[in-house]
Amino acid sequence: MKKLAIGIYAAITVALLGWAFYQAMYVAPEEQTMHEVQRIFYYHVPSAMVAFLFFAISLAGSVAFLAFRRGRAEWAQAADAWALAGAEVGVVFCTVVLITGPIWGRRAWGIWWTWDARLTTTLVLWLIYVSYLLLRRFAAGPQVQTLAAVLGIFGALDVPIVYMSNRWWRTQHPAPVFGGGPESGIKDPAMLAAFGWNVVAWLAWGLLILALRYHVERQHQKLAAQEAQDALDA
Amino acid sequence: MDQRAILDHQFTVAAYAITWAIQLGYVAWLALKWRAQKRDAARNRPTVR
Repeated sequence: MKKLAIGIYAAITVALLGWAFYQAMYVAPEEQTMHEVQRIFYYHVPSAMVAFLFFAISLAGSVAFLAFRRGRAEWAQAADAWALAGAEVGVVFCTVVLITGPIWGRRAWGIWWTWDARLTTTLVLWLIYVSYLLLRRFAAGPQVQTLAAVLGIFGALDVPIVYMSNRWWRTQHPAPVFGGGPESGIKDPAMLAAFGWNVVAWLAWGLLILALRYHVERQHQKLAAQEAQDALDA
Repeated sequence: MDQRAILDHQFTVAAYAITWAIQLGYVAWLALKWRAQKRDAARNRPTVR
């Protein structure tokens, strides 16, 4: 029953991604100043939104791990698995943002990169979470989860700075799509629909791989606990 | 199609293709990790005597 539900969810997600791609490439009208290259926006912005959400999940998992690690070991392990899954899948989406952005920038600005506040803070965010993943991959010992949780909390502090960067500072990056004043927002209904479908589709895809990553990490924890117990028994 | 439109199209296709390559590459890596873990779990399972 569980396998069937996962299969149905995965099939719906794939259908959504196909529909969202069709909307972005063929239904949404061409933007007047940026022309076709503006369609990158339909992948770039939803990826950024999903990355921010998953870094927030990582933050919640890190906080919960620190809260439960002394009293409720099983809850702490589950929280740690959410923190790792959120950080790792968040890095995947953030990588998409950092690659699709410069591809758009090369056509729109004539340059691949500029040290503007939005771009720089996003790169710093990516580097913090990559260092989080490297810490988890290469460090050993009983304190790794605690150190990673602290790093995960500090990393998440960069998310609101990234979000607000093009409001607080003068940047080359385009103005906020939503919540950036009376001029912000997508005016064309077909463009808004294409954007909405892509947000829904990438969120559904992200949740699917987040759940898979969480499951893999929980299996890993159980395997490690079993190996430790076997070593003690031997 | 003029030169600008061709370049715009190529950049858009590149951005979409790279997005898919990253996402599918990650899922493939995760699937391999999951399979290896299942194999390890099966190997470590105590045998019934």
